Amino acid sequence: MIFLTYIPLLLLVLLLLTLVRRRSFKIVPCFFAYAAFAVAADIARFATHNHHPSYRLTYWVTEAGYDVLGMLVMYEVLRKVLGDLTRAWWSRLIFPAVLIAGIGMSVARANVVPSRLSGIEFYIAVGEIAVRFVQVFVFAGLVTLVPLLGLRWRQYPFGVATGFGLYATVMLLATTKFSDFGTRFKLLWGWTSLVAYSVAVLIWIWFFSVPQKASTPNSELSAASAGDLKQYKDALRRMR
Amino acid sequence: MFSIIFTWLIVAWGALACIYMLRCAWSRFPRRDVDADDVIPFLYPVDISLAESILDPAAEFECRWKLGPRRFREAQRKRMRLYLELTRRMAHNAKVLVEYAAAEKHSHDPRRVSLASALQEKAIGVRLYSLLTGIKLRFWLLLRADILNSMPLAHLRSAGEIDGLQTYSALKTAAAAAFIQLPADEQDSLFRNL
Repeated sequence: MIFLTYIPLLLLVLLLLTLVRRRSFKIVPCFFAYAAFAVAADIARFATHNHHPSYRLTYWVTEAGYDVLGMLVMYEVLRKVLGDLTRAWWSRLIFPAVLIAGIGMSVARANVVPSRLSGIEFYIAVGEIAVRFVQVFVFAGLVTLVPLLGLRWRQYPFGVATGFGLYATVMLLATTKFSDFGTRFKLLWGWTSLVAYSVAVLIWIWFFSVPQKASTPNSELSAASAGDLKQYKDALRRMR
Repeated sequence: MFSIIFTWLIVAWGALACIYMLRCAWSRFPRRDVDADDVIPFLYPVDISLAESILDPAAEFECRWKLGPRRFREAQRKRMRLYLELTRRMAHNAKVLVEYAAAEKHSHDPRRVSLASALQEKAIGVRLYSLLTGIKLRFWLLLRADILNSMPLAHLRSAGEIDGLQTYSALKTAAAAAFIQLPADEQDSLFRNL
């Protein structure tokens, strides 16, 4: 049974290998750091599994790491997609606005639903829910842009956002709905989290399994032939 | 209470986005071939000289000078509606070309892929400009107030740091390059419709 809980670790190792093969640390360095951190965190949790105090400490330290890296990855995704679209001044305000909205929603939720956690653990949990909100905002916002602008959806930033978006949506749903189940909550939450995260990692592996096609015209192509140029000139003349 | 409602709304938005991405992944198989016949008859002509005249500050100043404030407001609303229609057509044409470019990107010829990338890039610029300008124009039209007197339409020339007419002209040039292999009469109808 304990083996099943480490399925995401195996998938994450596979993801890390795929990322290295695609040299994606050059395209999405924060996501690469996130994947490497996730592998290290899961190995640390596995190593301390039988020692409760060490496991507890490892768990909360790695959760805080996930929070910070989760935010950084969302910033990277948003910057990559919006940076290609517009250089308008207000595009730089989108991420801070999303971040404030996420933190606001998480704090508001913490006020409505009392937590059994206290101290630093409480803040890490609030941060985690804020990250989930940010991930859903960024994912759903970007997906909304696909039909509106005709963006290509099969590109690495969209893949990263889709994995996080799916996981965050399921976890927000689980956190909101499963609390109604009382003592069965922990078990359901654990299994849902495991399945959703495994699906998210599979999505990332699928997106990174193919090389990213050039989104901009390739300048390394050989020059057009004289015939092509003549045709092109004729076409432009007719256009005017 | 509000936080719970917002949480449910966000979860629903995320779930819809997941369904949309699933649909995108599913609809890759089978892949639809798009050629010039799927482009040229579907384009709406955009009169760029009309757009230029709507955005011309001198023409607007003349209008303001000749007409009284009430009649100028009416004329300004008509000009806004006309420009909204032009941006709608630009957005539609860009969408048709984006679909063509997306299909062309599966070609094995690197030159065609490169031309399709350039076309797609310009078309996305036009779509973004049309979206932002459309929002701005609808907002102005919704106000129905004296603000119409003080809003020069020349401000609509660029949105999100994108010069609309310049980007549309660049889109036409990119389309000319992407459809270079077409016979002359089909090229003529493409340019007429763009």
